[in-house]
Amino acid sequence: MGKDNPGRGDPTTSDRRLRLWAVLADAARGGTVAVDHVCATTVSVVGVDSAAVAVILDATPRVLMHATDRTASALEDLTLILGEGPGVDATTGGPVLVADLTAPECRNRWPVFAPAAVLAGAGAVFALPLRVGGIRLGVLDLYRARAGDLGAEQLADALVLADTACAVLLDDATRRGVDRDDQSPERTGLRHPEVHQATGMVMVQLGVSAAVALVRLRAYAYSQDRRLQDVAADVVARRLRLEPAGTPGDQNG
Amino acid sequence: MAQTQLADVFVEMADTLIDDFDVIEFLHVLAERCVELLGVSAAGLLLTDQRDTLQVVAASSERTRLLELFQLQTDQGPCLDCFRTGQPVSVADLTLTTARWPRFTAAAAEVGFAAVHALPMRLRSDVIGALNLFDVRPGALDEGKLRIGQALADVATIGLLQQRAIHRGDILTEQLQTALNSRVLIEQAKGVLAERLQVDVGQAFAILRDGARSRNRRLSELSQAIVDGSEQFAPGPDANLPG
Repeated sequence: MGKDNPGRGDPTTSDRRLRLWAVLADAARGGTVAVDHVCATTVSVVGVDSAAVAVILDATPRVLMHATDRTASALEDLTLILGEGPGVDATTGGPVLVADLTAPECRNRWPVFAPAAVLAGAGAVFALPLRVGGIRLGVLDLYRARAGDLGAEQLADALVLADTACAVLLDDATRRGVDRDDQSPERTGLRHPEVHQATGMVMVQLGVSAAVALVRLRAYAYSQDRRLQDVAADVVARRLRLEPAGTPGDQNG
Repeated sequence: MAQTQLADVFVEMADTLIDDFDVIEFLHVLAERCVELLGVSAAGLLLTDQRDTLQVVAASSERTRLLELFQLQTDQGPCLDCFRTGQPVSVADLTLTTARWPRFTAAAAEVGFAAVHALPMRLRSDVIGALNLFDVRPGALDEGKLRIGQALADVATIGLLQQRAIHRGDILTEQLQTALNSRVLIEQAKGVLAERLQVDVGQAFAILRDGARSRNRRLSELSQAIVDGSEQFAPGPDANLPG
């Protein structure tokens, strides 16, 4: 049993994921992929001018984690200060894809943000939620000076990169508990329903939030060198029960 | 099949579409009606995740092994072929498809299915998902049932898009991604209830669904409230708990 290699044991790993993972690994120069690498890759692959990740963990106010340039940084500031915009709507709903910020419906929906964002140099905004069911991690915002839709291919790439941003944010939390340096594009195992069912069960068992439950499951899987979906299946079948942090049983990686 | 039964289902679905409704609950009911109307053993709906793969979004039964069988087809099987070609795929005898889909065929046989059909969910030139039907008896669907099945798949597409401005790609993306995330949310809520009530996850879904109905709340909203802790869900006294 080796550590995860890209796509190992998961035949649903698509060519798209492998291709994007190669670009990300290159951006990280072989090191740990972080949010700034995801943003840089988004700009280079999706054909937008800038990108940013803002996080909204644990009911804290929105925090900008990374912006690729001044424009993105200014637009994120606007979103934070005004409390409106595609990047706000996407944190509670689905993706918000705005092909033309000067369109009348945009001014109706975001009366202050839309004109201010146009002045700041944005023609189009694509805000992708970073969420796993009820776990809200933040948002990946893409900005482009030119108005116009994202193509289907660009959208697919952007959605995969948003998945990666989710994984990176969860990993940041996981890494505090477990020393690991391996990464792969499919290591999140989030396609498997058992992972989400197990998240709910661990929430009750440990009395923690959904985000913490998922992080604990991931940490356990890494420490045992097992796939997340296999650990989750054990939890769902009640063959495995995670112990509260600090007690022996699931920390002996 | 009685024509009135068919008419009743379409009236039920049309009624739902008028109200402010929950997409997942709508698709779940639709999957149940497919089983009744078409006389098959199980039905499921899979949607594109817009990242080259399909995801299960609703099924006529939440039995874990059935969900796994649907999920497996995100990798290989009639649903994936139907999704990629936009054409119906019908297999009257699953013992003959081992070479074509080895993992899927083995898994379907294990659950006891003998025949499988997949019908595309189409939106103009796009295919956004597939309706998947399983039967424990071998055999093809006759022409009439195929047409009804396709009509139900089309109703699912309409329901998903909630009759909004479906020519706009941004709405399609928002609806698809929100539906898929709702499905994840429901899985998390199932886990919470399974552990809290000490039932299995399939039973947890039935309790969750009954709870949403009796409270007149959307399935996904109630699931969100359970997962974020704002709702201390307790089933009613008439809930069908084991023991």
